[in-house]
Amino acid sequence: MSALIIFTLLLLLMLTGMPISIALGLTVLTFLFTMTSVPIEAVALKLFTGIEKFEIMAIPFFILAGNFLTHGGVAKRMIHFASSMVGHWYGGLGLAGVLACALFAAVSGSSPATVVAIGSILLPAMVKAGFPKSFGAGVITTSGGLGILIPPSIVMVMYAVATNSSVGALFMAGVIPGLLLAGFLGFTTWFRARKYDYPRQPKADFTVRLKAFRDSVWGLLLIVVVMGGIYTGIFTPTEAAAMSAVYAFVVAVFVYKDMGLKDVPKVLLNSASMSAMLLYIITNAVMFSFIMTNEQIPQALAEWMLAQGMGPIVFLLAVNVLLLAAGNFMEPSSITLIFAPILFPMAIKLGIDPIHFGILMVVNMEVGMCHPPVGLNLYVASGITKMGITELTVAVWPWLLTMLVFLALVTYWPAMSLWLPRAMGMM
Amino acid sequence: MKWLDRLEEMFITLLIAAATLVIFAAVVHRYVSGLPLGAVQDALLKIHMNWAQELCIILFVWMAKFGAAYGVRQGIHVGVDVLVNRLAPANRRIMTIVALSAGVLFTGIVAVLGARMVWENGLAYAALTGLGMDTGSHYEGPTTPDLEWPTWAVYMAVPLGSSLMCFRFLQVLVNFIRTGDLPHHDHGHVAGLDEPEPFPVVEQKP
Repeated sequence: MSALIIFTLLLLLMLTGMPISIALGLTVLTFLFTMTSVPIEAVALKLFTGIEKFEIMAIPFFILAGNFLTHGGVAKRMIHFASSMVGHWYGGLGLAGVLACALFAAVSGSSPATVVAIGSILLPAMVKAGFPKSFGAGVITTSGGLGILIPPSIVMVMYAVATNSSVGALFMAGVIPGLLLAGFLGFTTWFRARKYDYPRQPKADFTVRLKAFRDSVWGLLLIVVVMGGIYTGIFTPTEAAAMSAVYAFVVAVFVYKDMGLKDVPKVLLNSASMSAMLLYIITNAVMFSFIMTNEQIPQALAEWMLAQGMGPIVFLLAVNVLLLAAGNFMEPSSITLIFAPILFPMAIKLGIDPIHFGILMVVNMEVGMCHPPVGLNLYVASGITKMGITELTVAVWPWLLTMLVFLALVTYWPAMSLWLPRAMGMM
Repeated sequence: MKWLDRLEEMFITLLIAAATLVIFAAVVHRYVSGLPLGAVQDALLKIHMNWAQELCIILFVWMAKFGAAYGVRQGIHVGVDVLVNRLAPANRRIMTIVALSAGVLFTGIVAVLGARMVWENGLAYAALTGLGMDTGSHYEGPTTPDLEWPTWAVYMAVPLGSSLMCFRFLQVLVNFIRTGDLPHHDHGHVAGLDEPEPFPVVEQKP
């Protein structure tokens, strides 16, 4: 009963358009003041201690690192590298778009920024080369989402925080699905390009490739710093994030010289405000999940589910449907923070691996970013292509369908996510 | 109010920079003090940096509370706008006012709750002792584990930050009622995209 009240209240508050963090907070307060015996002090304490975990602090550091490298110059270098490698195949520039998006998204950590950065440079070039505009828009909008699956990923840190999972293992688990999804999207691009005989670029020779690689490698090394540092045990994930922020600063200011020292305070301020927004959602989501746990809601749901005789297969299907539906209203970090604590106990009861479940959630978020009504990627893509949302939705569908096929694969083939972290002894 | 804006911006910029440097220094220190460097190593081993994590957390908590207030005037706090965007302008205006008032209400309550909490957990004791008055039933309050700072000082971030956030929500609300404008944050902003040089491609002959 209380579960119903809590969720109805949360939904009503959210629909007014108030920030999700405020909606979560007000739900908790209303519930506390009116119908529970939990002392208000216990919850007030959560306001202070909710984000006092060192693991959470990886989020501001990763955002900072990403913001230093979220720059047109970095995007251009990655596009050059990508197109020198795959530009001569069918759908050359489109394939280059998938690869450049995957690289840039992993480094910058922001899907919408990836769509804008890669899209603004590559889309005009694709149109000039003779591709239809919708083809390029479809490729960039969907590939831009790869960043939350390829580590370092902020959404994964959030999942780890919400469920007490290992950040390192999640990052490692994201590698193979990330590469595979990039491959899937690339295949769809190649297939359609071949079918409609879209133009190809001349094959780049070795020296061009080497130069393009040398230019872009500084940005890509960020991934190596993070993954290598965590895997070898030199850093904890949070330390790796801090080191990657310092590394990104050095690369942006002294190696690439895309920005001067005078631009640094601006980057710091933007990163601080973005991080503060996410940390604010986390604080309130922690209070929310505290109330939920206190009312035994996840446990009750888990028992209800077992009583219905729901097995892992049906459960995972239901989770996918639920998360895809939620993806229609909210952005990835809020969905993860609200749903992970509720769904996690059920998943554990059914013997689903926590890391596999995390990857599944992340892939769901990715699909959600690319379809209407709230897909953020779709909106920013609409901004740079001057195409309407409806028109873009049509443009996106081949790749969206590919992502859904991939989602089914991730859901029912745990080994894809779990093989690498297991082989590396991280779980 | 320009001075408050500037102060707020400078404060959170410094906090995130400081937190990054602290963790960077701690990692470098740990690594270098593991190298065989003779006297240098001995000197480094004498420095303890086990407080770095705690300081980093404190810096980020302060950054989070004040950054959230800054975010209100930047319009960075995202909500669900699917329904609101479909309403007629007049109704949408009412909804927006309701949503902003909810922000004022929540941050206001948190500021009060936070202030009470801080007062009872050591601020009262510190203030009364400082004034040479009888502390009554107030106790000294706990300290943080590594730095041994009084927790009430650390937790001041909540009432102060939330009060500022409440004030920012009020500002945005008043401004909305007067002008109908809302701050809007562009999540897809990327610097360095305005250079004229286009990406070179081979054009297809028609």
